[in-house]
Amino acid sequence: MPYFSKMKGITKSPPAVKPAEIIWSWIGAFFGIIPMACMDDRLFSQGDVVMVIGSFGASAVLVYGAIRSPLAQPRNVLGGHVISALIGVSLYKLLPGHLWLASPLAVATSIAAMHATRTLHPPGGATALIAVTGSPKIHAMGYLYAVVPVALGALIMVFVALLVNNLSKHRRYPEFWW
Amino acid sequence: MNSKNACSQCPVDISEKDILEAMTEIGDYLDITPADFILIYKTAYQHAVHRLAGHVKAGDVMSRRVISASEDTSLKEAARLMAENNITGLPVIDHESRLVGVVSEKDFLREAGMGMDLSFMSVIARCMTDSGCRVSSLNSRKIRDIMTAPAVTVSENTSLSEIADILNERKINRVPVIGMNSKLCGIVTRSDIVSSCCAKIV
Repeated sequence: MPYFSKMKGITKSPPAVKPAEIIWSWIGAFFGIIPMACMDDRLFSQGDVVMVIGSFGASAVLVYGAIRSPLAQPRNVLGGHVISALIGVSLYKLLPGHLWLASPLAVATSIAAMHATRTLHPPGGATALIAVTGSPKIHAMGYLYAVVPVALGALIMVFVALLVNNLSKHRRYPEFWW
Repeated sequence: MNSKNACSQCPVDISEKDILEAMTEIGDYLDITPADFILIYKTAYQHAVHRLAGHVKAGDVMSRRVISASEDTSLKEAARLMAENNITGLPVIDHESRLVGVVSEKDFLREAGMGMDLSFMSVIARCMTDSGCRVSSLNSRKIRDIMTAPAVTVSENTSLSEIADILNERKINRVPVIGMNSKLCGIVTRSDIVSSCCAKIV
């Protein structure tokens, strides 16, 4: 296929989901994010976002809104976040003061590592990026970042997904564990 | 899933292993699990079967060279004709090729088995009892005496899915296709439907 004609696309976007799916996605995401939001509020001073990181919002889209996707399965959620966090922290430490290089390297390397370990989870890219560009508080954590908030948050979201996503007769989670 | 269709047994039984091998072969990241792929495949298959069965008409799959007989044909001759051509039924036509009925194995069995269940074994069972075999009594009779008339018929424009329903509901194996003035123009059998349905999809 000639290079430019490939940019036209080849097919239609999939149909809309049923209304019940929209409602269950909302409910799941609400209860999936609320534990982190509460911990954040109580344990740390206001304004310092440490238990809630942006990539959890992205994970919620998959784990509660696209629950049958391979990207949304426990293996991917836990593996993708933790591996990406480790890579992000490592690059921040390896290239201090070179955000322009550490940032793209962190994201690109995370994707490669997730592919190689069959744990591809798109929010992992954000988790790696946050390790590099995040607040001084995140930088100060060092590798602890991969455990709290990252691993803990991922575990909580998977746990909530197991509870909420199996309530409906027409939904099930997960598709696979490992 | 709606599977009230003659072809619902057709789908190639694709396995999870097939999907995994295909995904490995393609090599790109595909955002779908093998289980979901199988679900989509099977559901889409039903839709395809339904669409194709609606599009394909009797005229597309019927046999045009029909072996037929007349009302005056002797049953002996009719039986020989069916045996020689390895078929289980004959449309019966008049001298102007108009369909007047159908004679089939079932009509023979009904006569020979004297109203018992219409099966080969019921005839055997009958032959082994005191009253003896009644097949010989058919010797002197003609098609007119045992044929089913009027016959169930369809036109060239009847869709395959309608024909499949007719065959199932009437428990028959073939249906003559008639044109203007009841003229016989072809016949559709169960095997015509099976082969056209699977051939279109594979």
